[in-house]
Amino acid sequence: MADVKIRALHKWYGAVHAVRGMDLDLKDGEFNVLVGPSGCGKSTLLRMIAGLETIESGTIEVGGQVVNGMRPRDRDVAMVFQDYALYPHMTVARNIGFGLVARKLPRAEIEARVARAAGMLGIGGLLERYPRQLSGGQRQRVAIGRAIVRNPRIFLFDEPLSNLDAQLRDEMRGEIKRLHQEIGTTMIYVTHDQIEAMTLADRIVLMRDGIIEQQGGPLDLFERPKSQFVAGFLGSPQMNFVPAKLTLQDGNVALDIGDGILFALPQKLIPRNTQAQGPDVILGMRSEHLRRSPAAAVAEGNVRYPVTIELVQPTGSRTYITFSLNKHPVVAEVAAHDVQRAGERIEVDFDLNRAVLIDPHTGLVLA
Amino acid sequence: MNIGHLGRWSRLLRFAALALAILFVLGPLYWVAITSIKPSNDYLAVPPVWFPSQPTLIHYWAALFAYRGLDGLINSVIVSVLATLLSALLGTPMAYSLARFNTGGQHLSFWVLSQRFLPPIAVVLPIFLIYRSTGLYDTHAGLIIAYTVFTLPVTIWMMFAYFRQMPRSLEEAALVDGCTRWESFIRVAVPLALPGVVAASVFAFIACWTEFFFALVLTSRHAFTLPTVFRAFLGFQGSQYGESSALSMVSLLPSIALGILVQKHLVRGLTLGAVRG
Amino acid sequence: MTEASTAEHPAGRGAGLAPPTAYALWCDRNFKWLLVAPAVALIAALSIYPLLFSIWISFVNYDFSVPGHDFVGLKNFRQVVADPVARWSVVVTAMLTALDVTFEFLLGLGLALIMVQSFRWRGLIMSILIIPLFISPVIVGQVWALLLQRPFGPTDYLLSQLLGFDVTISWLTSPPWNFIALVLADVWQWTPFMFVILLAGLTAIPPHLYEAAELDGVGNWSTFRYITLPYIGPMITLAIAFRLLDAIKLFDTIFMMTGGGPGTSTYTSSYYLYQVGFQQFHLGQATAGSWLFLILTAIIIMGLVRRLLRAEAKP
Repeated sequence: MADVKIRALHKWYGAVHAVRGMDLDLKDGEFNVLVGPSGCGKSTLLRMIAGLETIESGTIEVGGQVVNGMRPRDRDVAMVFQDYALYPHMTVARNIGFGLVARKLPRAEIEARVARAAGMLGIGGLLERYPRQLSGGQRQRVAIGRAIVRNPRIFLFDEPLSNLDAQLRDEMRGEIKRLHQEIGTTMIYVTHDQIEAMTLADRIVLMRDGIIEQQGGPLDLFERPKSQFVAGFLGSPQMNFVPAKLTLQDGNVALDIGDGILFALPQKLIPRNTQAQGPDVILGMRSEHLRRSPAAAVAEGNVRYPVTIELVQPTGSRTYITFSLNKHPVVAEVAAHDVQRAGERIEVDFDLNRAVLIDPHTGLVLA
Repeated sequence: MNIGHLGRWSRLLRFAALALAILFVLGPLYWVAITSIKPSNDYLAVPPVWFPSQPTLIHYWAALFAYRGLDGLINSVIVSVLATLLSALLGTPMAYSLARFNTGGQHLSFWVLSQRFLPPIAVVLPIFLIYRSTGLYDTHAGLIIAYTVFTLPVTIWMMFAYFRQMPRSLEEAALVDGCTRWESFIRVAVPLALPGVVAASVFAFIACWTEFFFALVLTSRHAFTLPTVFRAFLGFQGSQYGESSALSMVSLLPSIALGILVQKHLVRGLTLGAVRG
Repeated sequence: MTEASTAEHPAGRGAGLAPPTAYALWCDRNFKWLLVAPAVALIAALSIYPLLFSIWISFVNYDFSVPGHDFVGLKNFRQVVADPVARWSVVVTAMLTALDVTFEFLLGLGLALIMVQSFRWRGLIMSILIIPLFISPVIVGQVWALLLQRPFGPTDYLLSQLLGFDVTISWLTSPPWNFIALVLADVWQWTPFMFVILLAGLTAIPPHLYEAAELDGVGNWSTFRYITLPYIGPMITLAIAFRLLDAIKLFDTIFMMTGGGPGTSTYTSSYYLYQVGFQQFHLGQATAGSWLFLILTAIIIMGLVRRLLRAEAKP
């Protein structure tokens, strides 16, 4: 069990600056998820912690010990790979026990630990099979078993669920979360899937282009994003972004979305120095905050507006409807049977208390 | 390629062309094979004897013993096997290093690859002199070393291509699990690359087995190899056809058999891995 | 399990392993160099060193019949360049190489086009057609000498039967037949080389290109010219370059079939240099000549190797 401290970390691949001066503290025992789009540097960071990539500049400390220059085997970390990386010429039992054999543990202890790990993962009956005889889900469990059995101080996961189909992915996600609850070791998990990040993490580290955009608890990032990138990355369907202008309406600050659409802004959304940053903003609203309300009265901070439905996409439990505000498509979430078809005109309540305003020049959320 | 719809004529032509090709390939081999078992009178016969009425193995005996073909054979086996082994032992790690770490960049790769194309005459002259002064002339060791160097580029290049298409994650998993780099190479990468090593080795073996020029220059009465024994048959006095044919058969049968066994890897071997068969 | 883990891992120890020695760490850091060192050392010893040595030899008097190793400047080079046999050998080499590679390419391409389609005995026929590749070139020379020699070889007899008149060609001793004989032997052995590579190229062409062409109504010759040929273009270049570089070293068949004769009329450059170096023992001259030869081929080598490296650089 160990914490990880990263200071001023840089990594270049030729001319590409993959990790740019990163500082990060990962606490002992936490489930940390490094998430971001392809090429953001998350895998590179993970591999540098593992020792599979050299550290050119900056330091990585694990458990108070600087690991720059240490070989992977000496760092006492375990890693689960995206393609499972099971040794095809060894049985499942030998795969799991491989790391223990390298540490020259007595045979009896190896067998005991392998059996225990296999039991934890429900693969006890597969110990004599070969990887090619296993399904994707089973292989992933063996890979996890290989990591568990070594009792490392840190677990590293490199997109372990990307190769599994959707249903299996959901199942394995739950298992990994349960695993963490049971053994409590520090985990660092890399994924590009924001759902995995949200459901698994104690702490999310959202990365882009080699830097950390924002880090914190899942709900923290979800409800209080600091930038448009973070706001748009987490949450499905993606947050709606509509360009608008700040304007005055009857002495109050309002949003002019164009095409005659004016939204009154609730107090807390109004940016502090409206003059300094100019009139252009981007309004960000999540689909679940755009609803069809049965109440006659409009709630505080909400705006009710009539729209024409262009697309109806039912998912079973709810339906997503698409309409336009000044030709910008917006997706709202309604109950499954609330709307019938495109062309319908309905009234949508926009809950602006939960919306964000973004500065289009910096991409940052206006406080 | 879809030319099947051309119909009967093209099919006939194709059949005829293939038949000719097969005849062209097998004809000469057939002739050598039967010459090797013809009794001596038969080779002087006109018209030529297409199948001897009294086949004999006497020429094989003569070729192997009177002409020291057996010594040549044994030397060829020793030299080819050991050179192949050495080539695999030295070449596989180097190929791995090039494939995984791009060691030495373009320059090292270029240099190793270009060795394959060096005209032998350019190197054999100085090597001849070096060998004479170091006592390696006409020794097994001398030829083995030369053959190892001569087959290394192909071994390295074939294994390089092979390692490149193996995913790294297995070796990385071994590193994290507790292996040193060497252990991860030997215990994980090599076992998985074994088919490639075998194929590369077979090609190396065939190259050594059939090599003539180096053996001609660097050996004499002691370490001479099978191809060099054919020197004795220069000059076609008519009395040696049987022996030379017999020896030819002894040499070509094993190498053909081996070659056919690894034909799956043939294109890769011929083009140094640049082309996947 | 949590208790066990905190007990087993006092802060920072690589659990279960002895701390690495300086030697182990050094090996790890320099691993990639350690792996290439033995092979590079051996190749350097038997390639760089001899080549450097031979540079010295070519500028020095090195002859078994003349004592001493005095510096003679460019004398060796001049002797080679002035030697009419040397110059003729370059012509012979060029001519044979050109004929060899051309015929091998055309026949190889033809065979490849025929064999692209799958049919019943294809596997067996493939195995037969590649046989000549695995035979020692000396033996190939020997076999063709056996076939072509007079009066006991079957060739003249067969030709006489086929053509109806008496064929009495001395295949190995009279021009131009001896050149034809040499080309024949080389073509017999190395056509499969071209064939195999071109076949690999043809099989790699995605069939839907042909299907689209057929739907568009493109004729067979146009299909070949505008789809097939451009696709296998790089492969053709590769195969021809490879074969070219090997063909110019022509030695073994000359040795066995004509002995360079009659006289010196079928000397290739390699054979010439062999004669000068190992029969006449004018080693200085032979070395100088082989450097000239090397430089001539180096240009082609560079081009080919560069192309091969680019091909492998693609991930």
